[in-house]
Amino acid sequence: MKNPGKIQPPVFPPEEILFPEVKLVTLSGGVPVYTIESGTEDVVRAEFTFRAGQAREDIPLLASTVNMMLTEGSQRHSSEEISSMLDFHGSFINPYCEKDRAGFVIFFLPKYSGELLKLAREIVFEPAFPEKELRALMNKRLRWFLTNREKVQNLASDKFYESVFGNSHPYGRQTSEPDFEGISSELTRVFHKTHYNLSNLAVILSGRFRKDTIEMLEDLFSSPLTEPDLPPLAPLPEKGKGEKDIYVHKQNAVQTSIRIGSRTINKRHPDYPGLKVLNMILGGYFGSRLMRNIREEKGLTYGISSSLTSLDLSGFKVISTDVSNENRKLATDEIYMEIDKLRNIEVEEAELGIVRNYMSGEMLRMFDGPFALAESFRAAWEFGLDNDYYRRLAEKIKSITPDEIKALANTYYNIEELYEISAGDR
Amino acid sequence: MFVIYCPMIEFSRHTLGNGLRLLVHEDRSSPLVAFNLLYDAGSRDEDETMTGMAHLFEHLMFGGTEAIPDFDTPLQIAGGENNAFTKCDITNYYITVPARNIETAFWLESDRMRGLDLSQRSLDTQKKVVTEEFRQRYLNQPYGDAILRLRALAYKVHPYRWPAIGLDPSHIERASLDTVREFYNLHYAPNNAILTLAGNISTAEAYSLALKWFGDIEASPARIRKLPVEPQQSEPRRLTTESEVPSDAVYRVWHTCGRNEPDFHTLDLITDLLAGGESGRLNRILAREKKMFSDINAYVTSDIDPGLLIVNGKLMKGVDPEEALSGIEDVIRSLSGIRSDDYEFEKVRNRFESSVVFQNTSILNKAMNLSYYELLGDASKINREVEMYRNVSASDVEACLARYLTEKNSATLVYRSAIK
Repeated sequence: MKNPGKIQPPVFPPEEILFPEVKLVTLSGGVPVYTIESGTEDVVRAEFTFRAGQAREDIPLLASTVNMMLTEGSQRHSSEEISSMLDFHGSFINPYCEKDRAGFVIFFLPKYSGELLKLAREIVFEPAFPEKELRALMNKRLRWFLTNREKVQNLASDKFYESVFGNSHPYGRQTSEPDFEGISSELTRVFHKTHYNLSNLAVILSGRFRKDTIEMLEDLFSSPLTEPDLPPLAPLPEKGKGEKDIYVHKQNAVQTSIRIGSRTINKRHPDYPGLKVLNMILGGYFGSRLMRNIREEKGLTYGISSSLTSLDLSGFKVISTDVSNENRKLATDEIYMEIDKLRNIEVEEAELGIVRNYMSGEMLRMFDGPFALAESFRAAWEFGLDNDYYRRLAEKIKSITPDEIKALANTYYNIEELYEISAGDR
Repeated sequence: MFVIYCPMIEFSRHTLGNGLRLLVHEDRSSPLVAFNLLYDAGSRDEDETMTGMAHLFEHLMFGGTEAIPDFDTPLQIAGGENNAFTKCDITNYYITVPARNIETAFWLESDRMRGLDLSQRSLDTQKKVVTEEFRQRYLNQPYGDAILRLRALAYKVHPYRWPAIGLDPSHIERASLDTVREFYNLHYAPNNAILTLAGNISTAEAYSLALKWFGDIEASPARIRKLPVEPQQSEPRRLTTESEVPSDAVYRVWHTCGRNEPDFHTLDLITDLLAGGESGRLNRILAREKKMFSDINAYVTSDIDPGLLIVNGKLMKGVDPEEALSGIEDVIRSLSGIRSDDYEFEKVRNRFESSVVFQNTSILNKAMNLSYYELLGDASKINREVEMYRNVSASDVEACLARYLTEKNSATLVYRSAIK
């Protein structure tokens, strides 16, 4: 029987990415609107984003609570009416509160632009923060919190942030049960007034939006308001906690969740594109060294990954995995061994070639379709970067050398500086 | 009236001589092609003493062949990405790759359909990986084992009694090379597979590549699938369990119809009235107004053989599970009397339609759905879904409430918190 399996088809180098054209329109009140026209389906993605994330809160839960309360009733409509209107128009809304930014993404059909943008304005600027809804939300959030605290993954991640950024800064601060009592309507109103206002708003519009969308935004998001200044950010302490190895005990857990990592540079740093390549080799894709060794060779875990996250004031890298309690030491030893190898031995060109091509393919996926385009734009824009960042990344993927990677590993993966957090039942 | 222009997904269809079905949908707006290969084999095809086989096998499919010892690397070199999942009815493998390298996907997928190099070493490793997956996703999560208990309570004979992960990790540990080979030989053949290409590729190119790479793979003998039929349930069932979770939870399930039966869309719509979006009745009445639940949800399992309608919720502190259960019952009963022209009825129709439009923004979703609808009997059903859903009337809702959502057709799981 002939076996065409032996004749591998030729592989062509990844094609050049067509970066989208992003147009900036500034509304008369000063709000920037970034537009990316794309897609084949009649759908629109509109993001309303503010510097209103956790980094801006004085007490735990405040920023996320304000964000969740946006859809819990306005001066004109009850929470039921708002959700019913969104659902009736076949629209989907994703409120988010991250470490630096908060806001929401709303997906809708262009024919309902008028109704839904009007509702978006009401959600953003006219929330009523009813006391009754606030208490109900906090009670629900407490139940979610208690459930999450039963998950070793959350215990390990929370302790990781606390260790890396310290308990005094919102990046690292932990939530505890009494915090759910500490949020009042008054606090939410004040935070809302100072953070959710026109001078702090940016809009990102993508998909097949109607020609008159900008006019609608102009009508809705330009009225002059008296705007309080954005309060200054709490400074990030220079160092995290002194203690590097922490074990969080969770009775009866059958697996231990592990986090190994530390603070690192963010997207604004010139070394960042190279560090992304290094991270990919270590644990960024299915063929990475950590996956091959710890999952595919040893069968210790369902998954292991390494990631880089950029924050406004900092950034961090972290390796995450879940293994059976008894295999914890074996897994962490192997993780350090893989880091050590990257610091001491140059990557072979064959392996680097795989990573170059895989990452180039990944970049095509990052710029495919109206939703991915908007997300990629936002991920650079919030650090003051634009398509030039992606061009540098694409260029670095092609040109990085093995000795450059080794040097990056020596600069950024100093094992003594890494925190090791485990949550499980040893 | 609310009318969405819901574009049709145009596709062409060929069947190769060996029975492989091929569907192609051109979407030139993407630089990529999605390649989706569905095998008509899932956990319902397992023996009750060897559950979890289909899913374990999915892992082994990445173990390499004689010709291509490493599946992933050549695809990564081609800039592609891939994954797979196993459900009760199907095992589905998918790849997205830059259009110019689509032939690599054909080469890789046809090769592992032709023959696998199943080694003891790879089997041993993947058994461990799957056992860790079982622990991570089902045993080491609060409420993680509820679905295992629920299926075992609702089904007595049909293999839907267990989820794709299996009944117990010990079954996976028992799997031998022989049992694994037998599973492969029985199911992994062109006549049991449906291949869909969606994205930046022409029908002619897709057809000629399919012929080139899959055309000479031999068909396997036709399978005779004789699954035990779940007998009509005649008494309500109930199970109470206690575990270290922070809150009590309740689960209610009812036996329903199969995915292809006419009542399916009505049942789907009922769950949308109950739990579609924030404004669904369960959330609005039981979570928001009565503050009995911190989370509440309802869905249909969408299985090919008669499936389940599931309602589940986590209770607020101090709420009695019995009161919570009767709250759910009252909300379900309140659906009787709804009118086809009610705002709420129109709302769930609109939401369904727009969710279809949103799904179609992804070439991978389109590829997966085309393969799946073809398995259901005809891929063009995908373009009638909105109409089928829109045709559901208030009297259909009434009839399905009476036909399926009855006490004797139900099972209840009360999941109690052992943390006091």
